Amino acid sequence: MLEIADIKTSYGKIAALKGVSLDIHDGGLTCLLGPNGAGKTTLIWTIAGILKAQAGSMKIDSEEILGLKPHQIVSKGIVTVPENRLVFPDMSVRDNLIAGAFSRRKEKGGIEGDLEDVLTRFPRLRERSEQMAGTLSGGEQQMLAVGRALMARPKILLMDEPSTGLAPIIVEEIFEIIGGLRDEGRTIFLVEQNAHMALKYADRFYLLEQGRVTFSGEPGAVDHDEVIQRAYLGARKAS
Amino acid sequence: MDYFFFIDLIQSTVDGLLFGTTYALIGIGFTLIFGVMRKLNLAYGAAALAGTYIGLVVFLMFDAHPALVFLASALGSGLIGLVVYLCCFRFTPSNYPMASLLASVGMLLFIDEVVIHASHGLPYPYPSVFRDAIIELGDVWVRGDLLFVFFMCVVAMAALFWLLYRTPLGLATRAVSQQPRAAQLCGIDVTRVNMMTFGIAGVLGGIAGAMTAAAVGVLSPVIAMGLTVKGLIVVVIGGLGSIPGAIIGGLLVGAAENIFLLLRGVTERDIYVMLLLFIFLTLRPGGLFGSAQTRD
Repeated sequence: MLEIADIKTSYGKIAALKGVSLDIHDGGLTCLLGPNGAGKTTLIWTIAGILKAQAGSMKIDSEEILGLKPHQIVSKGIVTVPENRLVFPDMSVRDNLIAGAFSRRKEKGGIEGDLEDVLTRFPRLRERSEQMAGTLSGGEQQMLAVGRALMARPKILLMDEPSTGLAPIIVEEIFEIIGGLRDEGRTIFLVEQNAHMALKYADRFYLLEQGRVTFSGEPGAVDHDEVIQRAYLGARKAS
Repeated sequence: MDYFFFIDLIQSTVDGLLFGTTYALIGIGFTLIFGVMRKLNLAYGAAALAGTYIGLVVFLMFDAHPALVFLASALGSGLIGLVVYLCCFRFTPSNYPMASLLASVGMLLFIDEVVIHASHGLPYPYPSVFRDAIIELGDVWVRGDLLFVFFMCVVAMAALFWLLYRTPLGLATRAVSQQPRAAQLCGIDVTRVNMMTFGIAGVLGGIAGAMTAAAVGVLSPVIAMGLTVKGLIVVVIGGLGSIPGAIIGGLLVGAAENIFLLLRGVTERDIYVMLLLFIFLTLRPGGLFGSAQTRD
């Protein structure tokens, strides 16, 4: 379990996260919703160790890991699928996947087997395994980014807006992949603008507004329309 | 065109292509560092020369075998490359490109001064191999020492390609140069990759410096500026960030320089090389292989 408590992150003098606390439980899909500029991506970059938090704590299985460098976070089993996919454009699909297992490079074996598993999970990547990643379509690049993260054998998979810039039919496909990963018992933390789709798959969700968690719960127990409206538009005035 | 002139032209081109591999190595060094950090290291040529001087010290003090002298030059230059990284790049703010650029200019001047003072500004003999060997291909002669220079530089390039495409460090280096953010998310320690790249580029620079000196049998402190300027011309022509571009650029500059030398003499040679640079900067600023690609 990843416990995040009172994390504060700023860009210069502008506070983006004003004390965010949330838990990512083992197994299942935890979803973070919120409007543009709420600080969702800032939270992902902070967890990944790329942005430095000014205050707070982050514990995985009770071990404090806030302030570790990005590659150390990966070796703790927290692996990010970044927004806009960020594949290595001039590397083959296969090399992209092998790069994903970089933190495991000293292991004897295992990597080839995992590569085989990823290529079996995503047959489209197998067809294009020798192709440069930059020539793939958006949906295929998203699959590659997910596959690359799986190569690190994550304990917790962070996914930042996997639906950005994809056609609706591809978005459905990506969410089916995410649902499949959840059903395997993996721990996933999904940051999404597409609240409608996210609520369909989430086990738990948090709502982030203006750098604070303002709402949390289970999708079955809340009014979806209310959450979706706030996720897109921000808080309504109390009435 | 009369026959002897034609032979002279071929001869100049062959010599230039052989020696051009040293330019190619220097160009590769600039390009490697730019590739991972998106920053120019202007101290690179001077560091390569200083490394070559470490080889010279080994030669003068122990009368060492040329192979050892070359090895000391390469390793010395790699070491100085690491020092340059620590002084000019490691701790300078990454979002202010001018900081590291000016730091590297300072380092260039500093290393240059140290070398000039230590050598009293005088050239010293440097070991040269296969000086008297000549391979005659009809009327064109291939000099043994230049062939050796060519061979060593090609071996260095082959070793680099092996490193980049067959080892985990190479994979990490390519990952960082294509998408540094994603490289971090793959568990790659970008700081370490940057440092290793400076070391490796330094070793290549040391080999280039050693071969430059070996080709003439003399090491002179004034070649620091030559290595820097030639290296930059090579990367502009080849396309900054492209290794194949640096190789082609190096061979092209080597050959062009020798042809201009033949046609116009030593006093005008560099004018024409600069003119070549001017033509590329105006007509094809991205270089032969190139696009100054944007990232992120």
